[in-house]
Amino acid sequence: MLRTEEMEINMGPQHPSTHGVLRLILHLDGETIAGMRPVIGYLHRGVEKLAEHRTYAMIEPLTDRLDYVAAVSENLGWCGAVERLMGVTPPPRAEYLRVVLAELQRIASHLLWLGTHALDLGAMSVFFYTFREREMILDLFEAFCGARLTTNSMRIGGFLEDAPRDWLERVRHFLKIFPGRMKEYEDLLTKNRIFVGRTKDVGLLSAADAIALGVSGPPLRASGVSYDVRKATPYSAYPEFEFDIPVGKNGDTYDRYLVRMEELRQSCRIIGQALDRMPDGEVKAKVPKYIKPPPGEVYHAVESPRGEQGFYVISEGGEMPYRVRFRAPSFGNLQALETMCRGQLVADVVAVIGSIDIVLGDCDR
Amino acid sequence: MTGWLRTILLAELWVGLWTTLKNQFRPHVTVEYPRETVDLAPRFRGTPRLRYHPENGEELCIACHLCEVVCPCDCIHIVSEKKPEGKGKRLVSFEINLERCCFCGLCVDPCPTKPLTAIYMSHDYELADYSRTPFVAPLKTLLDGTTPHEYSK
Amino acid sequence: MEPRALVEQAVIPCLQVILVVLLIPLVIAYLQLVERKVLGFMQARLAPRRVGWHGLLQPIADAVKLLIKEDTIPARADRFLFTLAPIVSVVPALLALAVIPIGGVPFTLFGYEVRPYIADLDIGVLFLLAVGSLGIYGILLGGWASNSKYSLLGALRSGAQMISYEIPLGFALIGVMMLAGTASLVGIVEAQKAAGWWYVAPQILGFFCYFVSAVAETNRIPFDLPEAEAELVAGFHTEYSGMKFAFFFLAEYTNMIVVSALVTVAFFGGWLRPFPNVRALDWLENGWVLLVPLALGAFFGWMVDQRVGGGMRFLFVGGLLGGLIGFGIGAADLFGVATASAPQLAGAFWFGLKVSFFLFAYIWFRGTYPRYRYDQLMDLGWKWLLPMSIANVLLTGLVLLLRGGGAS
Repeated sequence: MLRTEEMEINMGPQHPSTHGVLRLILHLDGETIAGMRPVIGYLHRGVEKLAEHRTYAMIEPLTDRLDYVAAVSENLGWCGAVERLMGVTPPPRAEYLRVVLAELQRIASHLLWLGTHALDLGAMSVFFYTFREREMILDLFEAFCGARLTTNSMRIGGFLEDAPRDWLERVRHFLKIFPGRMKEYEDLLTKNRIFVGRTKDVGLLSAADAIALGVSGPPLRASGVSYDVRKATPYSAYPEFEFDIPVGKNGDTYDRYLVRMEELRQSCRIIGQALDRMPDGEVKAKVPKYIKPPPGEVYHAVESPRGEQGFYVISEGGEMPYRVRFRAPSFGNLQALETMCRGQLVADVVAVIGSIDIVLGDCDR
Repeated sequence: MTGWLRTILLAELWVGLWTTLKNQFRPHVTVEYPRETVDLAPRFRGTPRLRYHPENGEELCIACHLCEVVCPCDCIHIVSEKKPEGKGKRLVSFEINLERCCFCGLCVDPCPTKPLTAIYMSHDYELADYSRTPFVAPLKTLLDGTTPHEYSK
Repeated sequence: MEPRALVEQAVIPCLQVILVVLLIPLVIAYLQLVERKVLGFMQARLAPRRVGWHGLLQPIADAVKLLIKEDTIPARADRFLFTLAPIVSVVPALLALAVIPIGGVPFTLFGYEVRPYIADLDIGVLFLLAVGSLGIYGILLGGWASNSKYSLLGALRSGAQMISYEIPLGFALIGVMMLAGTASLVGIVEAQKAAGWWYVAPQILGFFCYFVSAVAETNRIPFDLPEAEAELVAGFHTEYSGMKFAFFFLAEYTNMIVVSALVTVAFFGGWLRPFPNVRALDWLENGWVLLVPLALGAFFGWMVDQRVGGGMRFLFVGGLLGGLIGFGIGAADLFGVATASAPQLAGAFWFGLKVSFFLFAYIWFRGTYPRYRYDQLMDLGWKWLLPMSIANVLLTGLVLLLRGGGAS
């Protein structure tokens, strides 16, 4: 009999399809993957250590740069965590605006995911179409916060300034044209036999495995577990909105795609409700000039587009936190990569990585 | 039955082709920089700059050091002295190290001067230069701004 | 041999060969520009525009860049084979152009008879298939000679893919040959003229098999996995740069043109107009006079940028201008002021139009579809296209038998 050996190849940190500086060491048995080891840490910047030497307001720009694709979700989580420590509640208008921004960010992040995922699989036009819509959302962010990507949008207690005068109208206009654009993406991908062939039954993850490995967000929901932080431990103004949580059946790449597409629709629904019921009033609660939360610790989680983004803050009463721990959803989701890829072909690895939607800034902090 | 027929006749593949063909004739979204530039929102956070006092032509800054304290990147360096006459302090030197600045805008929040803050985030983003020295911007550069290098074509 | 025959049989074909070999790189360079522009417009962006007016000098810039690039050969590569591989790829592709006819009737130029093809072999189709298969050697040699295991694997996959899809390609053409009764390309078009309709109508299954196999043969999306990510690098032409890479590139695009031309000749009537035997549509023979300026005007209008809300405006303006010019020429022809009709030009126009449409279809597919995975690709070729093409041959044979004696 011929003796076969496993081949070990390196899908290095520099690779167009790994969505950041992720290194994968693949053990191949012919074409199928026998084992895989992700090597992370290429984007580690020591954010948690940096946070110990900055005041609570100064940490917010740092959180922008954790999950740089979904900066508003990070800001929301951070401000929510500190507000819980201090016992401050932002006024209702601020909460509603925060929800609108967070859901717009979810749409923008999922559009980036969709574009890059389709591009990895070869459908390059979808990439340009999704970025065309993403540009509209980024323009909305620029009008509100001043920056497109590293938004630094919120402050502890609410916002610095209210929305510009025509901003809500522009959001409404975006909501009007977005469903038509979504139909374009669906026309090109959802029923396309080539796309379905590349994604169905690829990268299976069972519900038990997902829970055991600490997966959260759309990959967890695609495996059949109905867990969304917005419903499980509600925060901000989410209890006042009506929305569904899409749950998949098989836990394959196609289900993760469908779950995220449905989340896009649900986000539009939430924004529509928020715009309709937007309360008037001020946008910043009364907070002291120098923020010094009383001693204590808090764990505050938000549902970022990647999954459960957690903020664990220990305060000793000073201006700077004693310890800050960012729970990264991409780290947990990445752990499931080996389970998902075992037994698949090499060409499927690209599809699976694209479907988990990791951001290395979030994973490595 | 219709499902089987759709599969044979490649229905969804034609729909995909039609979608891209439609986009063939739609207007493009490219902004041909540097010939055209994007319109910036009023709140756009470009590089931080200082304002002149409207009356006496000096800087508006009162050297309170609040922006220096709040900057998360430690890029503002202010040296101040007590005013020889009257209350308060005045600037000796004000430097922002633009290589470290992360353009977060936190320096504008605590600035106490009214009605306009002494430090503000301008709309300049064309900051490229051929050497590193201009990036440690002294007071004069922060007040007057820089002109971007002209694109040759 | 008398001098006239010498010139007609030997010198003129040589001149035609030289013309083709000189023209094809230029055509392919501009085909590449058209591809980038079409893809760009489909993706809501503008494609090359800085070099020359609306990017028209971009191919020249690309060609100059490729020519002056450093010629690197990997350290322990086989130098002879490394240099030979692109040549082995390009020569069969160019050779295939020798039998492609752009018209049927010879015309006279300066008193000599010039045929609108370089050679009309009696076994034209067989020649094309054979020469197309030779091109695969170039890919395999290129991958082997690169001394890189990733290139080798990419080349093997690419080669296996091309060989698998040669078979349905051939079978699809057998159906056409059965209907036409000849394997000569000119003969196939003449047979379509005699039958009165293009062979795509009775051979729709064959056309489908042929075109899908052709896209797979030329390694284009949706079948370009060996080129795109094969073993996580760029496939068999990873190690090539400069003019050698340009040759591989040239070979790929020439294959595209050859295949499009073959599909036009075999299934879409070559140089025949639609419904070639219907008398009422005879005016279409001269219709090229109107349609060429129209098409050119629309084409240039489309190449110009599309401002917001502009959309089709430039297309219409260009088309209108072109239409007016064509109308003028046509009117002049009608009133005997000047003659513009010539059956050879009409034939060449229709041929060019159809080939352009198929090249556009290639680019259209590239902009729309994702890629097949390699095992799905091979499945498609062996489990679907091959049975379909064989079924097509059987069906054609049955119908011919039932209609009473097939073609001779």
